Amino acid sequence: MRQYETGFVLSPALSEEETTQFIQQMAEIVAQKKGHMVRQDIWGKRRLAFPIKRFQEGVYVFFTYDGGGDVSMELERRFKQTDAVIRFMTVLKDPRDLVRRKKKRRAEEAAQAQAPAPAPAPAPAEVKEEK
Amino acid sequence: MPRDDRPERPERSERGGYRKFFAPKRKFCRFCQRNVRGIDYKAAEILKKYIPDRGKITPRRITGTCAFHQRKLALAVKRARLMALIPYVED
Repeated sequence: MRQYETGFVLSPALSEEETTQFIQQMAEIVAQKKGHMVRQDIWGKRRLAFPIKRFQEGVYVFFTYDGGGDVSMELERRFKQTDAVIRFMTVLKDPRDLVRRKKKRRAEEAAQAQAPAPAPAPAPAEVKEEK
Repeated sequence: MPRDDRPERPERSERGGYRKFFAPKRKFCRFCQRNVRGIDYKAAEILKKYIPDRGKITPRRITGTCAFHQRKLALAVKRARLMALIPYVED
């Protein structure tokens, strides 16, 4: 299993309903292809750095999922068929990072198990790289 | 010709220009400083610092970024450009 991240930009011309519907459809595809959705980021409307298909804005959505290559292939096939998708890209996540994160989590869990938690501090939600 | 015949190289202190008086400010890799492993293309705000005005990637001789992170940075900038997060050209 590998972890992929697929990002796509939807046309701003879609209504909100259509947008959420489309995102849901895509999320279902991930499940259909036996992928496991890890994270689903919807940034919403954002200004593009340069016009694409004469649009100045786009709706950014990012999926992070575990699964085989067929998940991303199916997603990209759908994106190509859909006019509403103005950009998309799939990136393979660095497997070494995943191992590190797992190790970290395990270490944290072990530490918590040992010390009977002085008030269960909410685990910092996935420390993203800060500048 | 034996090497000993060559005139000795001047000491470093004889560097020309202003360097004689001012040591250049030490540059360092800002990613190493924060112990960052990978650079995410989605973090456009960080990437923007490395693409001034013209939209080109600043060489590492200027920013002081280490080779490892410069490679990651370049890849992230290129990915971000594709997703229209940062511009290809700007004037």
